[in-house]
Amino acid sequence: MNIIPCSIKTLKGLYDISGVEVGQHFYWQIGGFQIHAQVLITSWVVITILLGSVVIAVRNPQTIPTDGQNFFEYVLEFIRDLSKTQIGEEYGPWVPFIGTMFLFIFVSNWSGALLPWKIIELPHGELAAPTNDINTTVALALLTSAAYFYAGLSKKGLSYFEKYIKPTPILLPINILEDFTKPLSLSFRLFGNILADELVVVVLVSLVPLVIPIPVMFLGLFTSGIQALIFATLAAAYIGESMEGHH
Amino acid sequence: MKNVTHSFVFLAHWPSAGSFGLNTDILATNLINLTVVVGVLIFFGKGVLKDLLDNRKQRILSTIRNSEELRRGTIEQLEKARIRLQKVELEADEYRMNGYSEIEREKANLINATSISLEQLEKSKNETLYFEKQRAMNQVRQRVFQQAVQGALGTLNSCLNTELHFRTIRANIGILGSLEWKR
Repeated sequence: MNIIPCSIKTLKGLYDISGVEVGQHFYWQIGGFQIHAQVLITSWVVITILLGSVVIAVRNPQTIPTDGQNFFEYVLEFIRDLSKTQIGEEYGPWVPFIGTMFLFIFVSNWSGALLPWKIIELPHGELAAPTNDINTTVALALLTSAAYFYAGLSKKGLSYFEKYIKPTPILLPINILEDFTKPLSLSFRLFGNILADELVVVVLVSLVPLVIPIPVMFLGLFTSGIQALIFATLAAAYIGESMEGHH
Repeated sequence: MKNVTHSFVFLAHWPSAGSFGLNTDILATNLINLTVVVGVLIFFGKGVLKDLLDNRKQRILSTIRNSEELRRGTIEQLEKARIRLQKVELEADEYRMNGYSEIEREKANLINATSISLEQLEKSKNETLYFEKQRAMNQVRQRVFQQAVQGALGTLNSCLNTELHFRTIRANIGILGSLEWKR
């Protein structure tokens, strides 16, 4: 009877020393589902940042763009270029989707690396980038899957499914498997990279609190940006792939 | 099974720190490093971003200026073209008026000349007809005369024997004689 509280106390002491929390979540109970509330909160913050900055920037559009408008037009141009190179001529309707993916992931990643989330203490778990929770990345990857299925079906109709037996029907199982591996690889790549970035920073901070984590944080910023770019590029490439080859 | 789940949930909820709050531990919240990172990012990123955006702005400005100049040039050309069009239209009107009067005159002249030549032709036709008629009548007259002379010659040749000859001569002599006698 006495041993268990004692060991718990020891564990708690060890836990406080380590100061690294993994797999701790702040749960909300909504309609029988357990919701990771810290992800929702940070997602809302990210969405607020995006929408607010966009609204402020394009509130008063000029013919000759001023600073904020200029920056957002530059971002839009970048996204359009990306979509155009990946999707091809009919990239127009997909720019909003690709842009949403890229901007949300990018701002999420950078918010995790730049905003001092840990100032705010939750009852359980801690605030971090929304993309370091696998639910977010799986949701984004499944949206991408739905998008490229929709793109292919709306472009080619039922003959879209002919691509499964091309070039030979022998490849049918592999082609079907591809539809599962695409969202899987997308979600795990993003999740793993961001979680690893943040963990490395957290571990280094818990070991050496000053100066040493800074290079790793810059590496994290770089990787975060690259990951957002990769996710958007791959999503666009999948959409383009399912729309091409209509000879 | 339920027990296990319960204990699991219990473990998950184990560090029950309580409620929301502020973590004021500067080292644990990584504030200093974050400040440095954000500062460096702003320090270097600002210059790069400013260059990028200035370039973009300059490009947009030059594009707008170019298109303005093009527009002005085009408007000038349009004005010139419109003025020329007006001039040409005036000239065309003039030419048209001149051409109409010229054509009218030509038409009248032509009609006059044609009617004159028509009259002449009519006259010469009538003359020709008259002459043709005359010639035909002459020919008919000649033929009839010739036939009559030939008929007379034939009659003479066939009927003129000696007795008749003598009788004629005698009758003629008698006629001549009576003429002499009367005288």
